Amino acid sequence: MTGTLEQPRVDADVDLDLAARERIARPWRTVVWDDPVNLMSYVSYVFRSYFGYSRDEAERLMLLVHTTGRAVVASGNREQMERHVHAMHAYGLQATVSRDDSGGDS
Amino acid sequence: MIVAGRRGEGVRLVLEAEEAMLLSELADQVDPVLLLGSDDDPALERLLPNAYPDDETAAREFERYTRGSLVDGKRQAAQSVRDATDVTDGRDLVEIELDESQAWGWLTFLTDLRLILAERVGLGDDGGGSDDDETRDDYLRAAYEWAGFVQGSMLEVLDPTDA
Repeated sequence: MTGTLEQPRVDADVDLDLAARERIARPWRTVVWDDPVNLMSYVSYVFRSYFGYSRDEAERLMLLVHTTGRAVVASGNREQMERHVHAMHAYGLQATVSRDDSGGDS
Repeated sequence: MIVAGRRGEGVRLVLEAEEAMLLSELADQVDPVLLLGSDDDPALERLLPNAYPDDETAAREFERYTRGSLVDGKRQAAQSVRDATDVTDGRDLVEIELDESQAWGWLTFLTDLRLILAERVGLGDDGGGSDDDETRDDYLRAAYEWAGFVQGSMLEVLDPTDA
């Protein structure tokens, strides 16, 4: 026992760092959900055209949506994600803005 | 129906008059859902999905900001198809040339149409409808399949795979 000489450091900077790291680790996400209606070729073309993904990446995300029911197709700040989801709705895709990990992995 | 490439970007469609008329009729399906549909119409929920299923306040806010432009965009897409498929001049064949951005209008219209039709015929749920609904359902189902065929054919031209 060392008594009270070494007090636990409660440092505001450290707490801020933790909070910032938390935010970075859990950014906002654009989640696209599977929809039996939309053609796979259409979904993949939307991902490529709108997000600028390569054909392989667009195909991978489309298949992820198709086989697992959803995919995170973008992450970043909330405003960006809302713009993306707005665009996905314009294309007729089912998309949501999500903050936590419940949107699945990409 | 013939779907082919055109010089530059885009797609060229050749429709028989009946096909053009059918598309034009189907394009009329969009406005009623967007303008007259009650908020609990499942077809409307498909066209304007909830962006925040777990956060009512954020969902309302998002809808407030996006609904107007989504409705306008979807109505314009349907209108562009209606305009292009107008066969009141008695032609047998309707030739339509679409650049890439016009083609997107068609692709999104066909998507919206299929979302509406899928809800109307209950595709995806196994509940059997009454016999009275069967003829209507057959027609809607055929339209649903055909709209998918048109969209798929357009995509083969707009986004050819290596194969």
